[in-house]
Amino acid sequence: MGNKQTTFTDEQLEAFQDCTFFTRKEIQRLHGRYRELAPHLVPLDYTNNPDIRIPLALIVTMPELKENPFRDRIVETFSEDGQGNLSFNDFVDMFSVLCEASPRELKTIYAFKIYDYNRDNFICKEDLQQTVVKLTKGELTAEEVTLVCEKAMEEADLDGDQKLAFADFENMISKAPDFLSNFHIRI
Amino acid sequence: MSINKNTILCYRSYCLNVSQSFRRCGSNLRSEIGGKFGTSVQSYFVFLKWLLMFNVFSFLVNFGFITIPQLVYDFSPNVPNTTSFRGLEILTGAGYFNYTVMYYGSYSNETLEGAVDYKMQLGYFFTIAVYMVLCGIALIFSMASSFKANYVLADTTSGGAWQLLCSWDFSMTNERAVRQRKNNLRVHFTQINKTHLNGLFSLHEAETLLVPFMVSLMNMVVPLFFSLFNKFEHYSSQRRQIYVLVARNVLLRMCILGVLCYYWMNVVATEYSCWESVVGQALYRLVFVDFIFLLLGSFFGEFLSNVVGTRLLPRLGIPEFDVARNVLEIIYAQTLAWIGIYFSPLLPAIQILKFFILFYIKKVSLMQNCQPPRRTGRAAQMKTIFTALLFFPFFLGALAIVGYTAWSLTPSKHCGPFRGLDSTFSVVEVWMVQLNSTGGSEVVIFVYQNVIRSEIFYFLITIIILVIVYIFWQVSQGRKQLIVLLRQQIVNEGKDKSFLLEKLQNLQKSQPNIRSKNHKKVGIPSLLAMLARQQAQNEYDDGY
Repeated sequence: MGNKQTTFTDEQLEAFQDCTFFTRKEIQRLHGRYRELAPHLVPLDYTNNPDIRIPLALIVTMPELKENPFRDRIVETFSEDGQGNLSFNDFVDMFSVLCEASPRELKTIYAFKIYDYNRDNFICKEDLQQTVVKLTKGELTAEEVTLVCEKAMEEADLDGDQKLAFADFENMISKAPDFLSNFHIRI
Repeated sequence: MSINKNTILCYRSYCLNVSQSFRRCGSNLRSEIGGKFGTSVQSYFVFLKWLLMFNVFSFLVNFGFITIPQLVYDFSPNVPNTTSFRGLEILTGAGYFNYTVMYYGSYSNETLEGAVDYKMQLGYFFTIAVYMVLCGIALIFSMASSFKANYVLADTTSGGAWQLLCSWDFSMTNERAVRQRKNNLRVHFTQINKTHLNGLFSLHEAETLLVPFMVSLMNMVVPLFFSLFNKFEHYSSQRRQIYVLVARNVLLRMCILGVLCYYWMNVVATEYSCWESVVGQALYRLVFVDFIFLLLGSFFGEFLSNVVGTRLLPRLGIPEFDVARNVLEIIYAQTLAWIGIYFSPLLPAIQILKFFILFYIKKVSLMQNCQPPRRTGRAAQMKTIFTALLFFPFFLGALAIVGYTAWSLTPSKHCGPFRGLDSTFSVVEVWMVQLNSTGGSEVVIFVYQNVIRSEIFYFLITIIILVIVYIFWQVSQGRKQLIVLLRQQIVNEGKDKSFLLEKLQNLQKSQPNIRSKNHKKVGIPSLLAMLARQQAQNEYDDGY
């Protein structure tokens, strides 16, 4: 069949296909994209599972992520060390969760993690404020930001502890049907 | 043997490549449009493609079951010697086309002999009927599924502040689009160009184009007045403003169609000899002129607005792609096609061409001239709203018109597949009589006599459906109440939790030596249970 270099063994591709929402061809295409980011760092041959991580600064230069205000948080959420250094497995995981075929529950879990800046398993007022600032990019004044966050907290916080647990977040997401179609990155 | 295997493998890989390239083409399209302009603009193009599928199906069905038997039976159209094909027929639909299989009038009413005996009357009637029913079912299912996926509990707490967090469209990748998301200026274009008919037309032919021209002109101008009024009126919410605008536009188009249909059913049907073909031609002209106006609208609404907005009056800015107006236009175009299927079976072919060209023109115009709409919300509900709009006023209206024509109006006596009958529906009666006399399928006769013709059946069905609807309604009301109760329960649990935590803290403060040296962490739930039991015990003791 020609001089084709194998990037992955068959078992690896099977494992990827089982654990993500991608097909074999898409996995190989993703590997191409991953390698593009740091060709000197990422080997072509992944059959022995090399432990390579690409730093955050290179990942956010991807065109799919470049314009996204949450790009840093997204990459940090999917990295194992929490600093944004993605191995290829993390990379594939990230795009798998954000793809169209991924179910609502999975997207909700990861959206919660993304919006939870201080990683305490609650979305508190400061997390909301950071989100609002990122979305409006400095077009609102500090009082307006606080007002918006208070209103959002009021709407979402059911048990009155001034922070949103995962159940509160899930409840609010279920009322926004656009969320599923918006929370998706095509690669 | 090995050659066959190789051919099969090659063929299979070729098919895979083709289907993958189609998929990539579709997904490239979506990523191009969705990435730059957001999901609401993308939903317009997806909707246009979906409507195109309806027309492709309709064309295949009509051509296969109605036109091909007619062509096999009588290949050459009976064109009188005086008319010949001049290119103008494309614009007016009359003339040479009148005698071809394009219109109702050229279909025969006999049983076509051949390999199979094909009853043209039954074929025509049932093809149209089955197509309309299938369309209706497809629309109902599409509406139901998108409603189910996007059902939002009508709740006052789903307010504006939270929408902010859920509204960012992660698939937008274009930098300019992202920046222009906050741009909130719009250009209203108020000039309209008039087309000049050149002197090649005879006056009568020019007159036939006047009605479609006026209709399209009204459809273009009056909504601009509505937008103007909209600016001066005060509304309690933004959403209500959009609903009122859309409702006015829908009413306008329905009134225009209503007047036209009244004219066709009451005046044309009684005055002309082959009136179905006349109505078919009128619809053809409407479809064609509407297409011209859509192209002109795209040119002036988008291209010239862009030029005006960027060069001449920079204050106005780049025009937005008005999704609602464009969707309404294609819904109206599809309604014309649905009404026209009965009178002109090959109208779907024209519609396919129209939508195909429109898709690419709109896409090019979008890329070159427009910016993304500033209100980026609610794309998922838009699909439900579009389909509901398509179905309720427009499809049901078209179905009503065709149904009324088939039921009450006398078919013309000298042309078409139903000539000589009292009404189109009597075709089925005649067929039943034939089956009865020749001893045909008894099941069909039984079903016809006792189910379709009996009133008791419809009465019973209506009662049963009403009862089922009532039961489902009660169930959903009950569930709504349950949701309110459960929500109250969550609030109460939260209050209980904070109360018990306070109690725990007080307890710990008053008895500090309970804590063990190695700080064994006691689970909060078990502590709460312990405190609750102590509380209950205290109350019990107080009661006695």
